[in-house]
Amino acid sequence: MASVKNCNLPDDLLYHVANNVWLRDNGDGTYDLGMTDLAQAMAGAVIHCRIKKAGKSVKEGKSLATVESGKWVGPVKAPFALELLDVNGNVESDASLLNSSPYGDGWIAKVKPADADVAKALLSSADESVDGFEKYLAEKGFDGCPTP
Amino acid sequence: MTSALPSIYADCKYPEVPYEEKLRLFDEVRGDIRYHDTLYGCYECGICVASCPSARFYDFSPRVFARTLSRNDVETFYELLNDSVWDCSQCFSCVRCPRNNNPGGIITIMREVAVNNGLDSAKQALKAYSRVIYKVMSTGTQVAPDMLQPDFFPDWGPDVVAVSENLDVWRRAIPSDTLHTLELAWDVSEKTRVELYLIWKLTGNLEMIERIDESSFLILEEVMEELLEEHGFDIDDIDCVI
Repeated sequence: MASVKNCNLPDDLLYHVANNVWLRDNGDGTYDLGMTDLAQAMAGAVIHCRIKKAGKSVKEGKSLATVESGKWVGPVKAPFALELLDVNGNVESDASLLNSSPYGDGWIAKVKPADADVAKALLSSADESVDGFEKYLAEKGFDGCPTP
Repeated sequence: MTSALPSIYADCKYPEVPYEEKLRLFDEVRGDIRYHDTLYGCYECGICVASCPSARFYDFSPRVFARTLSRNDVETFYELLNDSVWDCSQCFSCVRCPRNNNPGGIITIMREVAVNNGLDSAKQALKAYSRVIYKVMSTGTQVAPDMLQPDFFPDWGPDVVAVSENLDVWRRAIPSDTLHTLELAWDVSEKTRVELYLIWKLTGNLEMIERIDESSFLILEEVMEELLEEHGFDIDDIDCVI
């Protein structure tokens, strides 16, 4: 598994570095989407997650969910124009799943890109994303994920 | 154009910034409608420093602000605007000045100018407070009980762990009319929030947030747009009137 500063990047996922999200290609034109390990570590202990309703369309770069930790709040930005097909209600009722299982139970939404080809072009594999994430973390001044 | 006065700081951090830009910001502070009530000339007695809690913990002096502004020291002003201005706790203990100066008031105006001009120092200073900004702008309440988290308030010591884990119980133990809210300091009605959002738009505050924190702006714009739309307002049709 690829990693950046002790933060995991599973090899079976795709990544959008600038928005710090992962996507799982379901093979049917849809993707599962969530916050990366890096993103959850930077946010700290998450206490609330509000996701837009299923059926909503979200433009590229706009927020599809709002995540709150103690003093921090931030958007989960759509990596491309998309429609929300399903949202993870478990994360809304227990936002700590974003910290404990960012790539599993902490998935945020199932999405369908407005344009499949555009979506594919914007995503990269774990290995391809490492350099980008290292640069991203350096810009944010983040030391990395804590040792388990 | 160059400054008539060199900065009082030997290690100036912003020599590359043109003097004209520093002067523009200086004039923006002096042009504020409140400015004439903040400064009546400083004889540097230091009473403001003696009463200042921030001066005990930081390399910070309200006297330097009064001195710098009264001497039209543009170079030092710019150093303060990008650094020391964020060390003030805005408690206004300094208003016990025998000349009726108000260094805290000068700092209020300077901070607003820093934010309105999207200075990097403002972005850095406010970065740690995104959720506070979000709460104030979206609900009108500032500090929420659920901000008491171990990783954000380590200064509360070991007790903060127990408090955060049983927050709802602690809140119910408070015999007040806060309705025992956790995400807000007190309950806020929808009508209040609609009025608040209109004020933020009409006064240009939402655009101000956009200049310093794009992520917070994204979230706030959505929250406001949705509620205003439910009440028959189009957020894009509401222009700043100031």
